[in-house]
Amino acid sequence: MADAVIVLTLLAVAGCATAAVVNRDPARQALVLAVLGTVLAVLFTVLQAPDVGLSQLAVGSALTPLLIMLTVRKVRRRSAAPKDGRQ
Amino acid sequence: MNGWLLAATAVLAVGLGASLWGVSTGPLGRRVTAQNLSTALLCPGLLLLAQGYDRTSYVDLALLLALLGPVGTLVFARLLADELAGDPPRAWGPTWAAAALGTVVVAVLCAVAGPGRAMVKLLIVGALLVGGNLIASRALSGGFAEVDRG
Repeated sequence: MADAVIVLTLLAVAGCATAAVVNRDPARQALVLAVLGTVLAVLFTVLQAPDVGLSQLAVGSALTPLLIMLTVRKVRRRSAAPKDGRQ
Repeated sequence: MNGWLLAATAVLAVGLGASLWGVSTGPLGRRVTAQNLSTALLCPGLLLLAQGYDRTSYVDLALLLALLGPVGTLVFARLLADELAGDPPRAWGPTWAAAALGTVVVAVLCAVAGPGRAMVKLLIVGALLVGGNLIASRALSGGFAEVDRG
């Protein structure tokens, strides 16, 4: 019965990772990825590895989405600039 | 399985299900709101897990999540400001519901812990959770637009 919470979080991780792959827009993928980082931290806690969960939480919930969103913004600006120049 | 773990499983089931469904479907505004609420719903779950496993050091995870979750939402609020400006997400109902859940869980755990260092830590987690959640929701709904422009 104590395994119920492990099964629950494992299912959530599987569903969240699938959702991150299925979404095609990078900004939306970053949103799903932020939730996935948090859910993974919960999974590590449930599996009695809170030290791994702490680092996962620090990296996954704020840092990875920040890097992805900054990259997406830079790529969009760079791909928009030449078009404006030609027109 | 003790009662704390059962409560944690229930809170996590609701939190994981709602945030997963919200973040993977619908318009962008709803997704950002769901990402914000995932923090507010999973943090009480982590607190209940710490009580259920009887390991007070697990509270550190909830503390870090309460601190960094709103930071992540503020990142999205800042970098998606242009996309969100047309249709600012206003989800005060779920926001207050999540804040009430966090307050109830922290109050119950404080009552169990009794006065002391653990209670102060729990109160800090609760204050960070509710305050960060409200600030992030306000930022998402465009409440800090003047600051963004500056």
